[in-house]
Amino acid sequence: MTELLLFNVTNGLIIGAFYVLMALGLSLILNLSGVINFAHGGFLALGGYIAFTMQPFIGFWGALLLAPVLVAVLGLLLERTMIRRLYGRDPLYSLLLTFGLAFILQDFTRYVWGANGLPFTVPAFLAAPISDQLFFVTWYRLFMVAVVAIAVGGLFLFLRYTRTGVRIRAGTLDLETVSVLGVNVGGLRAYNFALGIFLAGLAGVLASGQLSLVPNMGDSLLMPSFVAIIVGGVGSLPGTLLGGLLIGLASGLVTLFWPSAADAVIYVIMAIVLLLRPRGLLGEEGMLG
Amino acid sequence: MSALVAEGLNTFYGKSHILHDVGLTVAEGRITTLLGRNGAGKTTTLRSLVGLTPPRTGRVTIFGQDTTRFAPFAVAALGVGYVPEGRRIFPNLTVEENLRVPLERPGNWSVARVYEVFPRLAERRQNRGRQLSGGEQEMLAIARALLLNPRLLILDEPSQGLAPLIVRDVFRIVAGMRTEGMSVLLVEQNVRMSLEIADDAYVLENGAVVYAGTAAQLTGDEARIRALAGATAEDWAFDERAA
Ligand SMILES: Nc1ncnc2c1ncn2[C@@H]1O[C@H](COP(=O)(O)OP(=O)(O)O)[C@@H](O)[C@H]1O
Ligand SMILES: [Mg+2]
Repeated sequence: MTELLLFNVTNGLIIGAFYVLMALGLSLILNLSGVINFAHGGFLALGGYIAFTMQPFIGFWGALLLAPVLVAVLGLLLERTMIRRLYGRDPLYSLLLTFGLAFILQDFTRYVWGANGLPFTVPAFLAAPISDQLFFVTWYRLFMVAVVAIAVGGLFLFLRYTRTGVRIRAGTLDLETVSVLGVNVGGLRAYNFALGIFLAGLAGVLASGQLSLVPNMGDSLLMPSFVAIIVGGVGSLPGTLLGGLLIGLASGLVTLFWPSAADAVIYVIMAIVLLLRPRGLLGEEGMLG
Repeated sequence: MSALVAEGLNTFYGKSHILHDVGLTVAEGRITTLLGRNGAGKTTTLRSLVGLTPPRTGRVTIFGQDTTRFAPFAVAALGVGYVPEGRRIFPNLTVEENLRVPLERPGNWSVARVYEVFPRLAERRQNRGRQLSGGEQEMLAIARALLLNPRLLILDEPSQGLAPLIVRDVFRIVAGMRTEGMSVLLVEQNVRMSLEIADDAYVLENGAVVYAGTAAQLTGDEARIRALAGATAEDWAFDERAA
């Protein structure tokens, strides 16, 4: 029983870590650009596939580092050519465009790599179990959580200590004032978009070491990531972090006692949070208005 | 050369025509004040000048460059500091972080000098914008604009909602900018104090310029001053909100 509990807690933690990576990227983009990026899952899958293709040439570690960068560059190109036209428009347009992009990205990966699952191999020492007792927990599981922790820590340090990071936080509340202070907010938004897509790409590479690569692998993460943002409070990145971990752990634990409710529980949490605290756990007052 | 010349500005919010052929000049090294009652179009004029609400027709020339269609950041990059109405401090950022947002053009003003001139900000550097008093927020908004090392400083009602003693400080600081060699465009409701420090003055009424001349000349025009001061300045100058 303890082992089962431990298994589901680590599972929940890992799922939560993926929600966090996805949701932080979505949050960054939503906060600064007002765009809900439904194509986020497509970028995630692309990260996995690019890593898969590059691995024979540059190895696992090279692919882990480079694939998210390439996905971010693609994100940057799409932002400059298409997404930026959405800024300041009715949210309906961003829904239509990013939904369309989601289909295009998915069909593109299906066209290039095929619809069948592909294996992405991780180094042998990562694939090994931690110990005989904990045979169900591989080092790779810990590794994923560690990489996510480093990425999230790095993101928060970046936002706290670099000038660009400070400007992104300022722009979340008042982009107009950022612009009159001499900051090219178009460039800031592009950079920020690429940063969000980088996190999706990273999540994709990490996920493909655990699951097999399929074109729609990002889909099942998208809705829970939105839930994580809402639970944590729209506009608050620490809130997104908290929300992602909370619903990941909750669904991991519920799987243990009532497997068929594992998906429903996150929406129950969302409903409860919204009833008790409409702006989310760490949301600022008025951010939704 | 003038710091700023605006000619025939017509600005709209959607369908409503707000500015009607507004023209004004800010001479280099002088303080120009733009006065007018609430809703006269002062803020809209400033927004038209810095690229936030570009005019539909007309032309804005800043330090000899046609900036009418410039984005706000490009106007700022020419050396235009803007202190917006209501200060618009970033409430979620500390004082120190607020001061990291602006583009830093080379010049005399640095974060160190800002802390020297505004010691109160140095004391509050770890506090968030929302924790500052109205006066501190105003100092921060001015300091933030100064880090751009502006050649032209534009201020929208910097004394709004401040206690009388602090209002005097603010005007003293603005007047001091002239000695720094800056050109200043000052929008105010506090008519008397503005005219005291200004060299030139404009009066706006229903989106049109109804007076253009020297500040001294306007000071002598009692009827106009009384019409301007109406129900403003002194009435609300007492609530220093420590939001
Ligand atoms: N965002 C806006 N949309 C529509 N009308 C506006 C907007 N901002 C200001 N106005 C209108 O434009 C006129 C001028 O406003 P404003 O420039 O703010 O005046 P002032 O700064 O002199 O008080 C007012 O009638 C005001 O109602
Ligand atoms: Mg105004």
